Amino acid sequence: MMKELVEYISKSIVSAPNDVKVTEETDSGGVVIKLEVNAEDKGRVIGKQGRVAEAMRTLLRVVATKEGTRVRLEIV
Amino acid sequence: MKLRELEISAKTVDEATKVALAQLGVSREEVEIEVIKKGKSGMLGMGAEDAKIKVTLLDDERQPGQLDDAAEMARKVLSDILKAMGIAADIDVTPSPDDNTPVTLNIEGDDLGVLIGRRGQALASLQYLVRLIVAEKSKKWISINVDVDWYKKRHYDTLKKLAERLAEQVAHRKRTITMEPMQPDERRIVHITLANHPDVMTQSTGEGDGRRVVIQMRNR
Repeated sequence: MMKELVEYISKSIVSAPNDVKVTEETDSGGVVIKLEVNAEDKGRVIGKQGRVAEAMRTLLRVVATKEGTRVRLEIV
Repeated sequence: MKLRELEISAKTVDEATKVALAQLGVSREEVEIEVIKKGKSGMLGMGAEDAKIKVTLLDDERQPGQLDDAAEMARKVLSDILKAMGIAADIDVTPSPDDNTPVTLNIEGDDLGVLIGRRGQALASLQYLVRLIVAEKSKKWISINVDVDWYKKRHYDTLKKLAERLAEQVAHRKRTITMEPMQPDERRIVHITLANHPDVMTQSTGEGDGRRVVIQMRNR
């Protein structure tokens, strides 16, 4: 679920959607989502003052809460 | 506000038409032209009379059409996001209850409190991402309003009433009132509600999440 969400949003706003890679792992702290995009698109998925990343994190937390877990989003 | 009607005088009807179309920035198919005076060329400059026409823009169907396209695009984007979040809900596309945004997408379903979040933060994020993706697809920023079971509408209505009540207190006791910290959209509602109040005025102070609206007596 969380992977698909980040994938959908990222692919919709970057200029190189084919370069979007999202992985989902679980560690002791909960779910870790790693988002990788083309270097040129990094600014877009982070947004001014981190606004886009923050909005994605907020929605991820909604899904995590529903599933009774925690989530971290890392943009690499 | 776009000009919809225009009266133009020139030597001939053709010339007046050209001027009118240029001023409105439209083509001949988009207007209706009524000739008020045909104009006369006269003799040796004597008795010449300018032609006068009235040009009316035909109902511009492109703009509502564009809005419908944007609304439909936004509905699809929102529906995709909700699907990716594993949330089952219906999306109702309606004209907005106020004039600040053209279209509202109201999400309807059970147990959607999570979509609103603490102080509406989840809903604000959802709306921001929908606008961002629609802007990316359509190359235009359209202020789509996203709501959950009319949560925002009800919240804004409450806020308006609170603002009016506090304004009365300020006016009555001649005393400044500082409200609780609020989000930008909430502060905006208070500012708009009291913009034309005869006795009080509003301003925001503080930074970030601590920004508050101050209601005070209008300076004379």
